[in-house]
Amino acid sequence: MGRLFALGVLGTIACAKISALVLVCLGAGVLSAQVLGAQTAGSVTGTITTTAKGLAPVRVTIDQKICGAELPDHAIVVDAQGRLANAVVVITGVKRPAAAETIITNEKCAFAPRVQVVRPNANVKTTSKDPILHTTNAQLENGRTLFNVALPIAGLTVAKAIRGAGNVRLSCNTHPWMRGWMVVTDDAAVVTGADGRFSLDKIPPGTYEVRIWHESLKSAPQKITVAAGKPTDISVQMK
Amino acid sequence: MIPFLLAATLALGGSTFAAGGRYGATAPKVANQQASAGGPTTIPEMWGAWCARCHADDGSGKVKEPTITVEPMDFTDCKVTSPEPDADWERAIAKGGPGVGLSPEMPGFEDSLTAEQVSGFVSHMRGFCKETGWPSGNNNFPRPIITEKAFPENEFLILPAINHTTKRLAPSLTDVAFAGVYERRLGKRSMVEFEVPFVSEDRSAFRVSGIGDIAVAVKHALYTRAATPRIVSLGLEAVLPTGDHDEGLGHGTAIFEPFITAGALLRDWYLQAQLKGEFPANTDRADRAVVYNVYAGRDTSAAPNTWTIGVEFNGENKELALTPQVRKGLTGTGALAASLGVMLPLNEREERGVRWVGYLLWEFLEPLRARR
Repeated sequence: MGRLFALGVLGTIACAKISALVLVCLGAGVLSAQVLGAQTAGSVTGTITTTAKGLAPVRVTIDQKICGAELPDHAIVVDAQGRLANAVVVITGVKRPAAAETIITNEKCAFAPRVQVVRPNANVKTTSKDPILHTTNAQLENGRTLFNVALPIAGLTVAKAIRGAGNVRLSCNTHPWMRGWMVVTDDAAVVTGADGRFSLDKIPPGTYEVRIWHESLKSAPQKITVAAGKPTDISVQMK
Repeated sequence: MIPFLLAATLALGGSTFAAGGRYGATAPKVANQQASAGGPTTIPEMWGAWCARCHADDGSGKVKEPTITVEPMDFTDCKVTSPEPDADWERAIAKGGPGVGLSPEMPGFEDSLTAEQVSGFVSHMRGFCKETGWPSGNNNFPRPIITEKAFPENEFLILPAINHTTKRLAPSLTDVAFAGVYERRLGKRSMVEFEVPFVSEDRSAFRVSGIGDIAVAVKHALYTRAATPRIVSLGLEAVLPTGDHDEGLGHGTAIFEPFITAGALLRDWYLQAQLKGEFPANTDRADRAVVYNVYAGRDTSAAPNTWTIGVEFNGENKELALTPQVRKGLTGTGALAASLGVMLPLNEREERGVRWVGYLLWEFLEPLRARR
């Protein structure tokens, strides 16, 4: 990467000698460095699977009028082929800038999305679509509560800044079966979809450790090598 | 005399107190939104829809299938709830449990309720205590070091006092005293108190130590007002000649000490005052005295464990002193607190010296921290 930058700089300096074309050449120098950079970045894709089975629905003990009599238990979301959703794939050491705003929605007595990646020091918005009292209680793994926001009516949105990193558990003090997660990291990370697949691009070539987090299942960290301009595909089974 | 009269006049003559309005000032109008959506519009309806699931309809905190792990305070228990000031309850509703040192399972409502609604909830909750006659916790002011507070308490105290005198052409002397105090409320408005002092006096060549004169006192809150907080209490203390008089640790006679104590909150300033007469049974052993103390102080924040700064003017007969002091709650709930002050003599300085004073206080019926 350093060599590319040096080439871009040399190209720019050479062009600067022709005063009439200085601006054009500077632009070209910057553009060429970018184009070169995109071409040499790699990507990591793959599928996360598990042999674990989906879970029985949870019984709704309060507010059945809004929540229903029972709700699916999304602690493990797996399809017939064993492909696992809501797993978070993290490439340690590749930093990403702050993403778009983070929103947690209380809807039909569940957190949506159940799992999401959040940047450190993010401003987290929490809102409700249900006309009943929800409390969005965010706790670090060591038990320390980051915030507990009361949402008594639908349509209310409250923002709270969070300090800290790690896996943050969301719960509701009025609906104890509700569960959500925020994986707070500035590393490149993404949540697997219903098909168990994930994709992370713009990864500079190199060797990295990939960790996969899931609220119920575990797997060992993977060592991968990312090559320039090519996707690295991995498959990981969680237990 | 005059400072006491001033404070008592302020206490009885009326004062302004801005209640509520601190939390929820920027919250959306929940009531208006609810009215159109068919949800609860009055405070009792909101209590039923939002609060009762954890606190129960009657405020007792006993629900059939609780969704939380801690048991909330029983708001129907007047003994436990009446000593709490309204400001602490408003803060708990607005900031959640951690705002008052309690469990984070209680969420914060300051972004969803207006200031009027927060005040309205506190009024609704006061109604869960069905007994009349309990003095309002709005009169439960932070305890000064020397001035007796008017509100009855359940607490243990340790009061250290270190007196240091430095005279010209004489050796400096350091006297140390520790008093252990136990205060217990009786009924709704009264209190009994036991004080056991340990005294250690510096006689230059040697030191004399031992138990001093044990004291017993009763106090009764005669007059209290909740909305514009003011309180007047009467009391009687009996000092018993348990300290060794020959060693100089005790007075050698019983002393009867009737007193009146008052307090008022004036624009965030706590004003407290006490007037006491000391009548020894044997006037050959001890002299009659008039004791008068006035305190003015204020909290530096709204948290129950905040720093409170203040100053006392202390007088015993013609001996006058000024005692600046600070107090700090040591746990989130403020049930454990410490205070430190220095008693600076305004006259007869050489004879009296500077005295470091303070207390360590434990309100043993209050939770120290959130129950797990």
